[in-house]
Amino acid sequence: MCESCGCARDHKVSGNRQQANLNKSLFAANRALARENRKHFDRRGLVVINMISSPGSGKTTLLEKTIEALGHTTRIGVIEGDIETERDAERIRAKGVPVVQLTTGGACHLDAAQVHRGLHLLEQEEGGQNIRLLFIENVGNLVCPAAFDLGEHQRMVAVSVPEGSDKPAKYPKAFATAQLLLISKTDLLPYFDFSMDEAQAEARRINPALEIIACSAVSGAGFDQWLDWLRRLDAQSSATGKNRKK
Amino acid sequence: MHEFSLVQGLMEQLTKLAAEHEAKRILRVHVEIGRFSGVVADSFSFGFTALAPLAPLTRDAKLVIMSPTLQYGCRVCDQRTVKTGDAQPEHCPCCGSQDFFSLGDDDIILQQVEME
Repeated sequence: MCESCGCARDHKVSGNRQQANLNKSLFAANRALARENRKHFDRRGLVVINMISSPGSGKTTLLEKTIEALGHTTRIGVIEGDIETERDAERIRAKGVPVVQLTTGGACHLDAAQVHRGLHLLEQEEGGQNIRLLFIENVGNLVCPAAFDLGEHQRMVAVSVPEGSDKPAKYPKAFATAQLLLISKTDLLPYFDFSMDEAQAEARRINPALEIIACSAVSGAGFDQWLDWLRRLDAQSSATGKNRKK
Repeated sequence: MHEFSLVQGLMEQLTKLAAEHEAKRILRVHVEIGRFSGVVADSFSFGFTALAPLAPLTRDAKLVIMSPTLQYGCRVCDQRTVKTGDAQPEHCPCCGSQDFFSLGDDDIILQQVEME
């Protein structure tokens, strides 16, 4: 109750000055939209993965190889987020799956509203109505995307071997909010000072429940583990009707 | 860099709030930025300084940023540790474990708005 005039509103008045106590998160609007997205994904029977990593960690190559391996059995769709260009979407389109490119025009992350728009655009693409597994490739950035829920079921964070094994410790939020850590480009391990133990221990210290898969999309080592993880998501989702993030 | 879009969201909220309270000017905005929110206070402040003068409603508004006290929990003994420095503690004061997790502090909260 207002201390000055006794009205029901939570404000104080001196002269015509007012004070409103709100205690409201600035992420509230994005979270509300993300919840709507998740409901929509669930109604459509979609399993949605938000892919977060630095630029150049190999997200698009991973997707290309994943489509080659699973595309004939699982209906895959992709929403690409980049600051500029259609290049990633063109690479994915060449693999024959529905794809939408969102260009953020400078913004460093995707938000729930953009993904909502992207999903409707994807539904207009050929085959876009029948997607089962939707990958959202976020803007290459290990910082900002971590703060924005898109409504995804699973969040994957990727670190490539050339980036170094100190990344989990340096960018904890991305690792704290993910369900899967993918260590990519393991074919380059002989050429870089990358400690698999350090990367895994630091990541688990931040997030003990984090699953970790190390793989190379080029040599194919560990790639089956990644495909198994995707197949498991698909199966769990079929069994329960949804695949919620914790 | 996403601080700018958060400030844009804040501006929209302030416009709505002013309309609800029939206020003509926003005087002071209190925001609490958690240490693990992924939001840099200086960048947020810069965004506010850039955007606030663009609208008559917020032209004279002052931004007050508060940082909540850092809190860590220990996974081994469930001890709640309060720390005010920048870094997390080396060892749990209760059991000596190094297995910490941060408690909350991952949000950015619009606490209070003064207007007239």
